[in-house]
Amino acid sequence: MSDRRPPAPETDLSVRLGPVELAHPLVDASGTLDVLEYARRYDGDYLADFPYAAYVPKTVTADPRTGNPPPRVTETPSGVINAIGLENPGVHAWIAQLGEWAALRAPVLVSVGGNSPEQYAAVISALEAHLAAAPPGTVPDVRGYELNVSCPNVVGGLQIGADPTATAEVVGACRAATARFLLTKLTPNVRDVTEAGAAALGAGADGLSLVNTFKAMVLDRDTLRPFLGNRTGGLCGPAIKPIALRMVAEVAHAFPDTPLVGMGGVMTGLDALEFIACGATAVAVGAANFTSFEAPQRILAELRDEVAARGFGTVGEARGIALRA
Amino acid sequence: MSGSGQTHGDHRQWAETSHCRVSAARHLGGFAVLELIAPRIARRAAPGQFVMVTVPGEGYLLRRPISLFSAEADCIALLVEARGRGSERLTRLEVGDVVDVAGPLGSAFPTQGVTNALLVGGGIGCAPLQYLADELAAAGAHVTAAFGFRDFRAARAVGAFTIERLSVATEDGSVGRAGTVLHLLAALDVAPGTTVYACGPTPMIAAVQRWTFHEGLRGYVSLEAHMACGTGSCHGCVVDTARGKLRVCSEGPVFRLDEVTP
Repeated sequence: MSDRRPPAPETDLSVRLGPVELAHPLVDASGTLDVLEYARRYDGDYLADFPYAAYVPKTVTADPRTGNPPPRVTETPSGVINAIGLENPGVHAWIAQLGEWAALRAPVLVSVGGNSPEQYAAVISALEAHLAAAPPGTVPDVRGYELNVSCPNVVGGLQIGADPTATAEVVGACRAATARFLLTKLTPNVRDVTEAGAAALGAGADGLSLVNTFKAMVLDRDTLRPFLGNRTGGLCGPAIKPIALRMVAEVAHAFPDTPLVGMGGVMTGLDALEFIACGATAVAVGAANFTSFEAPQRILAELRDEVAARGFGTVGEARGIALRA
Repeated sequence: MSGSGQTHGDHRQWAETSHCRVSAARHLGGFAVLELIAPRIARRAAPGQFVMVTVPGEGYLLRRPISLFSAEADCIALLVEARGRGSERLTRLEVGDVVDVAGPLGSAFPTQGVTNALLVGGGIGCAPLQYLADELAAAGAHVTAAFGFRDFRAARAVGAFTIERLSVATEDGSVGRAGTVLHLLAALDVAPGTTVYACGPTPMIAAVQRWTFHEGLRGYVSLEAHMACGTGSCHGCVVDTARGKLRVCSEGPVFRLDEVTP
């Protein structure tokens, strides 16, 4: 990377994701980066040096969840398969920890999970009540929510996002619980990804993020039995990028001007630019966070170079290029 | 937040990547001892901790968690076994190669106040016990080690160790005593109050756990797991313990022997 040209300072990477101003298009994909864990393993002030333009924490649910039995994760060709199972301490314990990362400099989009509209809305209502009463400086800058209706690894294989009616019910319940920016994270495990997207937008979602992981399976080479404790898991990483790009393009084409967070196997700045060219407003980085602590800074520098090298004055000029006839 | 990662002793975890030059590489059958120039990792490390190593080349995504075989002055050493594609590639690293390493990570073996230590290892699980033996011996502790291996090929790793009182067993009888590490333990005269340190395959951990309780001893175990992030974020490496599901990369890899449920 030492032979890289110095970044062009005039290149404007800022984007507006609905009402949320982002310094650049990159955010973390939920569940792939924990600010407190990195802060404990960093010499400087990680909350000040946080590299992403917004922070999407690991999905929180109304009640504590212990997650799936191990093993939960392994590498596959050009990919990673996981079945964590939404392990989290539940919204009340989660709220109690907010003070520890209140100084995070980036806006926060809280990822919310559940099995029913009531459970999703309960998370948001609990957090909204806390935010309304919290003294300044004691909570991070929560700007919105990402409704995770697309985890493929929860008990019973229930995937709300595969059912447009169920998706609309969840979004509707959450819309009633908050005035903040509301994203719905779509599953790719459907025939037509725009159906759940339309349902979410129709029920009041402000934007969409996609894709979550692809339901997949990996076998133990010795026993020929499913390797993961949950038998199946969700596939991410470069293996899914071409499918994710196609799906983002379909959603961007169906819902022009809708705030979109594209993701799926982004490992480089060019990958990120490709999602923007397919219509994404912002781009989430997932599996790349597992490859190094410095991955977000590297991808951002590469994105800046890619935008500048193509003569774009702003990253927004690249948005939707792949959709044009 | 600096320093809040302390769990045992004065070591500290560090997620940033170091570009480390291989200063020595020794090959023992399917194993390699890789010495890496890594002053900032060596300075912070403690026995039991691990590093995440980026496999060089195309086609490898996740880093490999590898425990520290030794750490002194400006260098760390790793004992790597060629088990899968990625670890096989790591065993082929040569002097002068540069490899990306993040660490040290995870919890360390508690050693404070230990005067008698029994180190029980199985297979590649023996790796962190060399570093532990070095530290314990330097602190004046009496260290005895018992290592078990499957067969001759697996026992090639023994050649990497420099522990004074080390007995070896192989299941096929090709090296050392015929049998498992449990046969070695049965033949030992263990002083009361000895601290047991174990690392190895799950059935061995379970057997050592039973033996330790039966002997009225206490100890620690280092566990292995498939990992994605290695830094506490993804919750991919959890194991069942008496305290619920805990992350091997974060609460571990070192746990109390009486809290794991192998």
